[in-house]
Amino acid sequence: MAEEADDRKPFLSKKIDKFFTGLADAWNFVRRFWKEVFLPPYEFKEVIHQCYRIGVESLPLISLTGFIVGIVFTNQSRPSLSEFGATSWLPSLISIAVVRAMGPLVTALIAAGKVGSSIGAEIGSMKVTEQIDAMEVSATNPFKFLVVTRVLATTFMIPILVMYTDFVALIGSFLNVNSNELVSLSTFFVQIFESISFLDIWSSVLKSLLFGFTIGIVGCYKGYHSSKGTEGVGRAANSAVVISMFLIFIEELLVLQVVNAIRGM
Amino acid sequence: MRGENKRSVIVGIFVFLGIAILVAGVLTLGGQQKKFVKSISLKAVFDDIGGLQTGNNIWFSGVKIGTVRKINFYGDSQVEIEMNVEESVAEFIRKDSKATISSDGLIGNKIIVIYGGSTQAPPVQDGDRLEAVMPLDTDQMMETLQVNNENLVEITNDLKLLTSKLAQGEGIVGAVMTDSLLAENFKSILNNLNRASINSNKMLAELTEFSGKLNEEGNLFNDLVSDKEIAQDIRATMESFKSAAANTEALTQKLTDISEKLNDPNNTLGLLLNDPEFAESLKSTLINTDSATYNLNRGMEALEYTWPFRKGFKRKAKADAKEQN
Repeated sequence: MAEEADDRKPFLSKKIDKFFTGLADAWNFVRRFWKEVFLPPYEFKEVIHQCYRIGVESLPLISLTGFIVGIVFTNQSRPSLSEFGATSWLPSLISIAVVRAMGPLVTALIAAGKVGSSIGAEIGSMKVTEQIDAMEVSATNPFKFLVVTRVLATTFMIPILVMYTDFVALIGSFLNVNSNELVSLSTFFVQIFESISFLDIWSSVLKSLLFGFTIGIVGCYKGYHSSKGTEGVGRAANSAVVISMFLIFIEELLVLQVVNAIRGM
Repeated sequence: MRGENKRSVIVGIFVFLGIAILVAGVLTLGGQQKKFVKSISLKAVFDDIGGLQTGNNIWFSGVKIGTVRKINFYGDSQVEIEMNVEESVAEFIRKDSKATISSDGLIGNKIIVIYGGSTQAPPVQDGDRLEAVMPLDTDQMMETLQVNNENLVEITNDLKLLTSKLAQGEGIVGAVMTDSLLAENFKSILNNLNRASINSNKMLAELTEFSGKLNEEGNLFNDLVSDKEIAQDIRATMESFKSAAANTEALTQKLTDISEKLNDPNNTLGLLLNDPEFAESLKSTLINTDSATYNLNRGMEALEYTWPFRKGFKRKAKADAKEQN
């Protein structure tokens, strides 16, 4: 079939056709996910298993990254604020930066690198080794078992990981602020919550859900549509990371516009 | 199977802790922003809110008591602010309290400050409107500052002129600063002044001591001031002085009359005092009297050695000698 399609005369050009065909495939993939997710049977055990792999196993890496981000961001912001004698505003600055942007973004990027690539590689290798076909033959719905479970796991685990990242980043920031400005923990947290609002927290959670869904669906899509043997597996893993990271930034930009519009209302 | 169960438990704990962080954050934020506290609504109408936004804080006596809930246009281009204020604080805010817009620092967020209010006025209630006081406008401040700047330029120009004159030794101060002799004189004047002030201090101290003594009981001056009886005596004395003065006046009048009479040549004394011819005649009379007296004395001395008086004189001389012994 593929060869027949290749032989056909391109509609616009070969590359443009390929891009739009890929978009259509992705759209159909997402539609299929939303159709399958509500239909039984539900693979709870596999979802829990994927949650463990995606959430719990990513926790040490993401916690460490969050902690370092907190310390580094605080340290880098200090000179600019100290020029105005406003180092007492560091907690406010850090809380806005971490809760609104850094926490979700850093978590999503780390997860895209670690989880997205592993999902792409795993499903891709299953695809090229025809395990997915084998599952279909054995009356197991591979899409439900492989894709839905992983996408659900990433969608729900990324927001949880973001909570951890925020917490750990703020602790890292506190240690830095405490050692330099001698601010107490209670004062630090009072200042942290003074500058953020519920909108910041809810937008952060919703954004994380979106990031998680993106990482899962892109990883699964790339793995599910990989071809050309082991090379295809590597390409699937690579493109899963690149595309999900790119989409995460686009989504971040769009969510920012929406949240600012809501904030101004 | 056991491994799967363990994994499920770990995932459960992981999710639980993540949600716990979220809930703790939400509760802390809600507590800090008084989202879950019962509140009342207060309003204030401003001409210009200077960038105040919904969610900005409300301060009362330096304490955050609520947030701005709504900002609406009102009337003719005015702005009505609706504030959520903690119900527990409402009893301390009086109906005649005022609301103004300020900021929590030099470049901080805008805030609404509620202040003032008298204890006679009742506490605010839900929906009350507070009197709005317009904050200081930055443009107006800058305009005033510009006037100050211009004044400062003029002052510095004057100062420049003054200092250059001083440096050139013009005027008294300049001369003092440049002329060493004048400076020495000035120094000695100051020393004299210093000495004078020391002396005046001493004098003041003595005067103080003196006045202290005057104030002591039993002292004449103190009695004069404080004793009523002395005052009455003085009054009586003054009355006596008064009558004495009247008598003196009468006496003077009489003396005037006498002197007038003395000046009048129609009476004896007046004639004696005023008529030179009479004086000359009196003088010659007296001369004649004197020569007559002299002749009489010689006659008497001659009589002493003359009989029958000689015996009598001897007897008298003896009696005088006896008395002396």
